[in-house]
Amino acid sequence: MIHSVDILLSFVLLSVLFSFGTSRLVVMIRIVAFQGVAAAIAPFFLEHSMSFGGIVFTMSILSIRGIIIPWSIYAVVKKIGIKRALEINVGYNASLFFCLLLIVSAQMLSHKFNLSDFTGSKLIVSAAISLIVAGLFLLMARRNAIVMVLAYIMMENGISLLGAPLSAGAHTIVEFGILLDVLAGVMIMGIMLQSIQNKYVNLDTAQLRKLKE
Amino acid sequence: MLEIIFLIPFVTAIAAFFLPRTAGRRLMVITGIIHLFFTAMIWINRPAAMFPGYFGIWSEGLLSLTVISLLFCLISIYTMEYLKHSHIQHENVFIGSLLLFLSTMTMVTLSDHIMVMWIAIEATTLTSAPLIFTHRTPRSLEATWKYVLICSVGIAMALLGSVLITLAMDVGHVNVPVSFSELTGAATQLDPVWLKAAFVFIFVGYGTKMGLAPMHTWLPDAHSEAPSPASAMLSGVLLNCAYLGIFKTNKIMVAAGLGNFSGTILMVFGLMSIMAAATFIIKQTEYKRMLAYSSIENMGIIAFGTGIGGIGAYGAILCLIHHSLIKSSLFLTSGNIHSGYNSWFIDQIGRLPRRMPKTFVAFLAGFAGIAGFPPFGMFIGEMLIIFGGFRAGHYAMIAIFILSLCFIFAGLSNQIIKMSFGDVPEEIKGVFHEKASLVWPQYALLLTSLALCVWMPDILYQTIMDAAMAMSGGF
Repeated sequence: MIHSVDILLSFVLLSVLFSFGTSRLVVMIRIVAFQGVAAAIAPFFLEHSMSFGGIVFTMSILSIRGIIIPWSIYAVVKKIGIKRALEINVGYNASLFFCLLLIVSAQMLSHKFNLSDFTGSKLIVSAAISLIVAGLFLLMARRNAIVMVLAYIMMENGISLLGAPLSAGAHTIVEFGILLDVLAGVMIMGIMLQSIQNKYVNLDTAQLRKLKE
Repeated sequence: MLEIIFLIPFVTAIAAFFLPRTAGRRLMVITGIIHLFFTAMIWINRPAAMFPGYFGIWSEGLLSLTVISLLFCLISIYTMEYLKHSHIQHENVFIGSLLLFLSTMTMVTLSDHIMVMWIAIEATTLTSAPLIFTHRTPRSLEATWKYVLICSVGIAMALLGSVLITLAMDVGHVNVPVSFSELTGAATQLDPVWLKAAFVFIFVGYGTKMGLAPMHTWLPDAHSEAPSPASAMLSGVLLNCAYLGIFKTNKIMVAAGLGNFSGTILMVFGLMSIMAAATFIIKQTEYKRMLAYSSIENMGIIAFGTGIGGIGAYGAILCLIHHSLIKSSLFLTSGNIHSGYNSWFIDQIGRLPRRMPKTFVAFLAGFAGIAGFPPFGMFIGEMLIIFGGFRAGHYAMIAIFILSLCFIFAGLSNQIIKMSFGDVPEEIKGVFHEKASLVWPQYALLLTSLALCVWMPDILYQTIMDAAMAMSGGF
């Protein structure tokens, strides 16, 4: 039987594929926002019953992951006025091929881990692995500073997704603390993005070579 | 209430953002003194935490807290004078960030919950980023960008490792709070496969922040571009905080009977760091970057000693304490040298004893300490690590360890001799006044290091032993 969260997670896997094939920053931000929403509401599907406090907590996590974090990056993009990120180390076709390999490998790996007893979902582990590795890949494959920040957020969404079914031992206040750290980190990165744009002509991180040994 | 010790600098930091320059500087020094007072009270009273599941006092944390507190107190006195001569535009942001940095580092030392530890370590990255970006030059921008991105991604790996620990608990049907102390007690019931995976990720994550090779690339840039007091804090105590995360996780590994696995990882990466530092120190042209690479070397030594365990771990903790004291004094001294010569380049510095005699004494003594000259504590710590390594039968690794140290010693000596007794290419105009508050904090740090070698209070010795005993290996 297909778990209801698996339908959502299949779209997450598709969104990873989209993120590898696009150079449009607004599309990338929307993809990351969707992944953030999915990571925020996944525990809602996995738990049999949820208290009022739990619902409020899920909603606040959703608003940070799905709205505030992507919006703060969107605000920077608007201010800088860049629409496309064309600075790449690995081409789009090669990236898409890697992404397909990644999704298949993540699915095979998740079967090997045999964690469905804990998660109740067939796709949650593979979706989490895909997001984490996709984030790491984009950090290396793209040179645009905004895409690098988005890749970091994608990675963090993946870790959060992996932790969703295992959060019984953690406390909600701690999860909230983690998210606030991530939010503050993204805000600081946003400030750095504007400074890079002001000091250099564009956001190509290849320009940052003054300190190279 | 234990938590008050990190709440005080947090509150004063917020105040410092809105205060005028002079008041902000005074507040920083007063906070440093209060923090040191509360640290002393913790040694005497051992107060209970208000949130015992999240915070607590353990030997390794208490040692780190003491070093942080002492260093901040002395560095704040230096900074007060330093700020009068430096051209820092947003001084309130600098002081506020420095105090927030103190607050978050204190939180790291008292954290017992795995996730709270992660939150605190990530918060140290965020609060120290404005310190590196203080000068707002293209170089400092590059250093800050690398620092924030590499450390955040690295620490995200540590978060993944922390999540995997909860998985090891679920698979092993362990139902205890996710705290280091509880998990060390229930370590044998944790699933070993997931625990190993968790350690690898936590090691990579916190190892990035600790500056272990090959994840060290941010460190020389960040430490060299930050103003000298911030560099002293970054090198002297921030690296210790990241080490604390690895140390506490290693405690769980040792208690679970997986000490060989984690020990080997620590030793291999420790050696790699020492070798990487040796390569870069020899050809270094800037003295502040040279000190940064020396920090990578020392973190390598500490990781290597911890991996050996037993007497090696004791040596590692000694190195940790003395490195903090000596390296922070060296970074402060480098700030004086820059003020005197207006250059970070080694070949632009010369005749140091004639131009800056007091600074020269601090610089040479600091070099002697960090290079491992007896009777400084680094010498004792390194000797104990070598003994521990021989006793554990790691002959090949010890041979590489000694050889790398020799290379580093040669490289450092060469550069220091050039700076001290070499000729200056052109006549330097102006005279640098070596005011007491710009020199005696370094002397105090070096004398503390020296005093600990001659006489170590019994309570301190017991605390170091308590921390080292948690590592495997014999004494």
